[in-house]
Amino acid sequence: MHYNKQPTPVDAVVIGTGAGGAPLLARLAAAGLKVVALEAGRYWNPAKDFATDEKAQETLFWTDERLSAGENPLPFGSNNSGTGVGGSTLHYTAYTPRAQPDDLMLRSEFGVGEDWPWGFDQLESYYEEVEQLLGVSGPSPYPWGPARKRAYPLGPLPINGAGMLMQKGCKQLGIRTSPAANAALSAEYYQEGVGYRHACTNRGFCQAGCTIGAKASMDVTYIPLALRYGAQIRPESFVTQLIKDPSGRISDVVYSRNGQEERQRCRYVFLCAGAVETPRLLLLNELANSSGQVGRNLMAHPGLQIWGEFDEAVRPFKGIPGAIISEDTHRPQQADFAGGYLLQSIGVMPVTYLTQMTRALGTWGQDLKKAALAYNHVAGINILGDCLPAAHNYLELSGEKDSRGLPKPRIYFSNGENEKRMTAHADTLMRAIWEAAGAKNVWAYPRNAHVIGTCRMGMNPTTAVVNPDGQSFDIPNLYISDNSTFPSALSVNPALTIMALSLRTADRFLTNNKRL
Amino acid sequence: MEIAYPVGTVRALMATDQVTDATRRALTERLTTETQPPQFFSNYELNLLRTICDRLIPQSEHHRAIDVAGGIDSRLAQGKSDGWRYDDMPIDEDTYQLGLAGIDEAAQKLFGQPFQQLSDTYQDQVLRAVQQAKAPGESWKKLRADRFFEELLAESTYHYYSHPLAQEEIGYVGMADVPGWQRIGLDQREEREPERSK
Repeated sequence: MHYNKQPTPVDAVVIGTGAGGAPLLARLAAAGLKVVALEAGRYWNPAKDFATDEKAQETLFWTDERLSAGENPLPFGSNNSGTGVGGSTLHYTAYTPRAQPDDLMLRSEFGVGEDWPWGFDQLESYYEEVEQLLGVSGPSPYPWGPARKRAYPLGPLPINGAGMLMQKGCKQLGIRTSPAANAALSAEYYQEGVGYRHACTNRGFCQAGCTIGAKASMDVTYIPLALRYGAQIRPESFVTQLIKDPSGRISDVVYSRNGQEERQRCRYVFLCAGAVETPRLLLLNELANSSGQVGRNLMAHPGLQIWGEFDEAVRPFKGIPGAIISEDTHRPQQADFAGGYLLQSIGVMPVTYLTQMTRALGTWGQDLKKAALAYNHVAGINILGDCLPAAHNYLELSGEKDSRGLPKPRIYFSNGENEKRMTAHADTLMRAIWEAAGAKNVWAYPRNAHVIGTCRMGMNPTTAVVNPDGQSFDIPNLYISDNSTFPSALSVNPALTIMALSLRTADRFLTNNKRL
Repeated sequence: MEIAYPVGTVRALMATDQVTDATRRALTERLTTETQPPQFFSNYELNLLRTICDRLIPQSEHHRAIDVAGGIDSRLAQGKSDGWRYDDMPIDEDTYQLGLAGIDEAAQKLFGQPFQQLSDTYQDQVLRAVQQAKAPGESWKKLRADRFFEELLAESTYHYYSHPLAQEEIGYVGMADVPGWQRIGLDQREEREPERSK
């Protein structure tokens, strides 16, 4: 093997620059550590590279093929993946609700699922710090969860047509709504290491990448901050191996860059590649898996969408897609399931809307053309609900090789009884809301969103992969920071919690190593 | 099909500074792609796929320019994936070849002729049988018919509605975003957004 050897060891290699890697990278660099981030994707120039177009946005998706198995196979690509400096935050919709304290104590409350190994107090200050840095736009006061110590830094974004319809329908049914918290700027905002970031112009294309830097993806927030503190980023560097030294610590990270194999020596490794690539890399290298739990406990949020056509023109591509939220369903009364969900209004782009319709309803021919003509009059509402871990949901390496010559991951997912009951509850409720709002031709798109929990964090080395600080039980200089460590799925979108957890992981590491 | 929205809206906007260079490049490429000889399929397979796509997404005289089958052929020739596939399906290349053969086989078994020789009504009956996993034939023992149909329909829809002419057809002008959008509420329209004729 010919390695382009990087002889100087660095303090830490961070693998992945999304919501799990970027905040931590900035924190470690600020503490004076010599850090290098390896990112499989490109370093984009959003203003020049990102087209306002659904087909062109493909470049932001992880398109190495994954095999989707089980009764409810999970789609990847445009869903559940991302590539580029900034990771999935390049195309997330920036919906950033906090988890509520009881989300972290599902087992204590319901006797099913898992508790987190520590409480909400361990996340709260990090939530606040992340919200302030990103410039989250949101209401004050926020109607649900514990009283906030500090208001959102900016007021809410303007409400689009779908949001207005959700407000109307919910009001008639006595369901409280609020403008949602979104990590896109409702006004110009000063960003350390960047300067002033532009306010959102309601272009609605968060999922194709923000061209003006209004959306708080990592490439316009924590990454520039990390660079300012001296972190180095190597884009288009795909990690293939973690090499252990005789003492059992990882000494080198091997990656492929421009077709060449390179190697970086390091003292610590932070694996932040997301809940598919993180366990995949560990399984490929047969590492950190004495518990046998790598790839297990895979969860995916119930994310049922209800769509309808309205007399009013909605033109659902305009404005922040998730304008309105309700958490009145966080713990619904007389529910026949554990946990709960949030309700969200949703805008949509035409290709996404119509391909979803063809998959869910099988509509074709003149019926499809007719449904497409109604595009400017459609609006959606959806849920984001907790998911319980189950033995039948996991990730494994398949026998099939991808274009890099590595085994494709196979992901098994089937909704359990709890997810089915929650989805049925939400289906009834959302249809009622949409009917009250005046919807016609209502239809449902069943889906699960976000892959979570494949390298569980816990107290017990026989049932968890990392300890409560995110450190591998097996390899002391390996940390994991992404949604794979979540012990439970939470009833909110994961990005804000991944970032908060990333800062906590960095601080625990620095404290343990007396570098703070 | 009725003309619900005015013709030419997207093309007119593409010529203005209300569309970014990156967006214009992406849309222009799609608009100017001419029908190519097959790169992945055989001539026969591509013609068959064209006939099928015309039934799935009928094109008016005016809009016949959108080459859905060519988009699928080109994607397969480049070996591009959308990032996932159903575990119980073969690789995309095999799925399409098996599925196309299966549609011809079902047409033979049901109506005694290859698919392309059938009337529109019979073609639709064959396609519906495939969609409902009731199509006869050996091919469907190797391939789940309902999933093949789902993938074919979803990919066809993706190629068709990504095209600027199809976007004109449904009154979508979200690509003209340089000035941003101020009028985003219900029944609010900006000047550059077309209105439906009735």
